[in-house]
Amino acid sequence: MNKGILITLPRHDDVTEYLSAFSKEIEQEASERGIKVKELKDGEAVKNIFEKSLINLDYSMIVFNGHGTEDSIKGYKDEIIVASELNENLLKERIVYARSCHAASSLGKLATLGTKNGCFIGYIVPFKFWANSLYAHNPLKDDLARIFLEPSNLIPISLIKGNSAKEASQNSKRRIIKNIKKILRNRTNESAFIAGDLWNNYVGQVLLGNQSATL
Amino acid sequence: MKKENNENDAEIAEKLKEVVIARIEAQVPSNYKLYIGSYAGLSKEELIEHVKKGDKIGKFIVKAHLSFMKALASGEFIKTINSVEDE
Repeated sequence: MNKGILITLPRHDDVTEYLSAFSKEIEQEASERGIKVKELKDGEAVKNIFEKSLINLDYSMIVFNGHGTEDSIKGYKDEIIVASELNENLLKERIVYARSCHAASSLGKLATLGTKNGCFIGYIVPFKFWANSLYAHNPLKDDLARIFLEPSNLIPISLIKGNSAKEASQNSKRRIIKNIKKILRNRTNESAFIAGDLWNNYVGQVLLGNQSATL
Repeated sequence: MKKENNENDAEIAEKLKEVVIARIEAQVPSNYKLYIGSYAGLSKEELIEHVKKGDKIGKFIVKAHLSFMKALASGEFIKTINSVEDE
C-alpha cells in the first residue's frame, strides 16, 4: 500500500458543494506535508473510476464526501460508489473517513471486520450542518457552516499530521465541544439549536477497527 | 388501559411536535438552512412543515430534539462540555 489520499469531491448539490469546498483545507495540509492526493471530482466520483484509481494507486487513506446510507456511500449524482457486499473489501486495511450519513452503522462495520490495520471513521446518524444562505456561492466564507465542517476536517487533517485514528477522532470531537461552548457563550437566539445539532454529530461520530492506525 | 396509554402517547407526541415547532419559530433565523442527509437545505418554514406533517424528516428532527433534551436532563451534555477546557 502507498502513502496517499484518495478523496471524492462530487459537487452536484449544495451538500456536496459545501463538503467539497471545505475539503480544500484537507488537501492543502496534505500538500504542505508532501502527501500525494488523488481527487475524484464531480463526474469522476463514480464507482468504476473510484475502483480503478484505488487499485492503481493503492493509497492508504480514503476520504469520502457524499451522501450515505447504512450500507453505502454515494458519489456524483448519488451513484453508489461503495457498498456492503458489493466492493467494501476495497476499504479493508485502509484508513477511511466517510463524511456521509449513517455509513458507519453497517458498511463501516463490514469494512473493518477482521481488519488488522484498517479503520473506519464515520457516523451512525445523519451528519448535520447548518449554513447561511447568504454564502451559498462561497461556502468557505460561511462561518456558520465552518462551525460544523471544521471539526470534521480535523479527522483527516490530524491523520495527515501523523496522529493515530483514535487521536484524530478525539481531536475532532474536542473541537465540536469547543465550538458548542463558543456558541453557547455567544447567547444568540439560535445558540441552543446550533448546539443541539453539533451534539448530534458528536454522539454520532464513531471509530471502528484499528484505533492506532496512522497514515 | 392500553387504549388510554396509546392516547397519552399520541398526546405527548403532539405536544412534543408543538415544542419543536415553537423552538424553530423562535430560534432559527430566516437565512439559515439545515442540511441533513440528501435533503436539500431546509429553511425555517420547511422544517416547520416537515415537523407538522410528521414525515420521515419531521420525525427525525423531533427525535434529534428529544435526544438532545435527554442529554441535557441526564447531565451527559454538561459533563461532556465540562470535560473539555477552553482555549
